[in-house]
Amino acid sequence: MNATHEMIQVINLRKKFGRLVALDGVNLTVRRGQVIVIIGPSGSGKSTLLRCINHLETPTEGEIWIERQKITGNQRQLNAIRSQIGMVFQHFNLYPHLTVLENVTLAQRIVRKIPKSQAEAIAMHHLERVGIADKARFYPAQLSGGQQQRVAIARALAQDPKIMLFDEPTSALDPEMIKEVLDVMLNLAEEGITMVVVTHEMGFARAAADEVIFMDYGKIIERATPEVFFSQPAHERSRAFLSQILSH
Amino acid sequence: MAVKETIEAKQQIASPQLTGAEIREKIRLFPWWTVGLIGVFVLTAHLILTRPSYQDAFNFIRAGVGVTVQTTLVAYGIALVLGLFTGLGRISHNIVIQNLGTLYVELIRGIPMLVLIFFIAFVGVPAGVGLLNQIGEWFSQIGLQLIAQPLIQLENSSVPMTTRAIIALSVTYGAFQAEIFRAGIQSIGRGQMEAARAQGMTYWQAMRFIILPQAIRNVLPALGNDFVSMLKDSSLVSVLAVRDITQIAKLYAGRSFQYQEAYVTLAVLYLMMTVVLSALVKWIERRVRQDERNA
Ligand SMILES: Nc1ncnc2c1ncn2[C@@H]1O[C@H](COP(=O)(O)OP(=O)(O)OP(=O)(O)O)[C@@H](O)[C@H]1O
Ligand SMILES: [Mg+2]
Repeated sequence: MNATHEMIQVINLRKKFGRLVALDGVNLTVRRGQVIVIIGPSGSGKSTLLRCINHLETPTEGEIWIERQKITGNQRQLNAIRSQIGMVFQHFNLYPHLTVLENVTLAQRIVRKIPKSQAEAIAMHHLERVGIADKARFYPAQLSGGQQQRVAIARALAQDPKIMLFDEPTSALDPEMIKEVLDVMLNLAEEGITMVVVTHEMGFARAAADEVIFMDYGKIIERATPEVFFSQPAHERSRAFLSQILSH
Repeated sequence: MAVKETIEAKQQIASPQLTGAEIREKIRLFPWWTVGLIGVFVLTAHLILTRPSYQDAFNFIRAGVGVTVQTTLVAYGIALVLGLFTGLGRISHNIVIQNLGTLYVELIRGIPMLVLIFFIAFVGVPAGVGLLNQIGEWFSQIGLQLIAQPLIQLENSSVPMTTRAIIALSVTYGAFQAEIFRAGIQSIGRGQMEAARAQGMTYWQAMRFIILPQAIRNVLPALGNDFVSMLKDSSLVSVLAVRDITQIAKLYAGRSFQYQEAYVTLAVLYLMMTVVLSALVKWIERRVRQDERNA
């Protein structure tokens, strides 16, 4: 059932927190190289969906497949599967006690057992890719928010991931720093990396997304190409959300 | 902190001539208490140097410093390990481990330290020896004589009081330090563990490389203060007739009837050790904070 071009497959996913239903039967297929942008109001379950995909949250029901590996109920392979999924958080979550270079090399060394010199070469390559190689010896607190988020992206890229997950990567940034992070993400999208991005940056969605997914109340309400979604949204709730978000 | 900085800033702009207000401010902020403290030390040194009775007391009691320091150091080291693992246990997702850790901490917190020392020395250690004998018998039954013999031969009466004292102090302080470690670990944001796990690290790798290095840095001052407390509380082990400075001072006083000399010397010896250690802790604390600001 899993053809090779399917990178992520989410089947009938439900997630409850106590009595609160955060995800209510989500089905989603992401093909290799696709860029999916997820939007939706606060509390609609966007983060929870993303966090279920790499099992930071344990689904209550349903299945998640990464390539041909089932991740749900697969404790033994969990760390190995996770190491193939890069995640970028809203608040960066860099390791503050480590330098930028150490942030990017640590997981390579202890998860994938790559020797130090090689890990550093890989790290420098990705730091150059996000335009921040000159800060390799700095500590995260010495960098601006935009720079920190680019380091976080480099850290995820250094895992050589099959998939990159972004959870509102620019929401915690000052306006003047948003562009530098979005530019990096646009480059990644062009390079054909499979990406699932939760964001309110509609410009990014228009420019980079293959498909836009609109979520509300733990369900996927609408899935369409950006052209269709932004010009003629099919659902009333999508229209209401768009008018709200585009009006400011 | 803020006050100090503004004063330093003022000093940079101000001319060498200080105004009256500045002088008053300086006088107000000067740590006069240290003068009192140094006074105490100088006075005691004077007594010891000029009065033979104080000199005798000092020379006699001084011999216990080694035992006090050694007992404290060894017990502190064991308490650190015990505290770290208990602290980790208390935040474990395994409810058995978590509850065992909590039970240990609550038991220790609910009993006076002096009582704990008696209890561990005269109930805990004999029970522990009995348990080890049992384990020895069991090993012997399955044919592991090499491990069995030393365990079976262990006798309660052959455990020296110093060892009991060290066990008592470390078990007691292990519970205190467990709370310090637990608080330190919980002070690290959830995002750190999530980022590490999302990268494929195991729970223990994340603890070892991400959480603990940050947590331990945060609790260094608290751990340092505990060391000072433990040095003071080590005086309680004198009830086990361990020859630490308190015990030796007591012996000296009882024998020579020079109570004043004995206890003045004893108090000042503790004070000297704790003042030096507290200064060290403050220095470490400042270093940690400086690092944080630079980082
Ligand atoms: N760990 C948790 N414990 C309890 N409830 C949670 C937890 N995480 C999320 N929730 C709840 O689940 C629902 C979905 O949350 P989620 O974070 O996925 O929403 P979101 O779409 O990402 O919202 P936002 O745009 O505000 O980030 C919310 O009602 C939230 O309060
Ligand atoms: Mg969210």
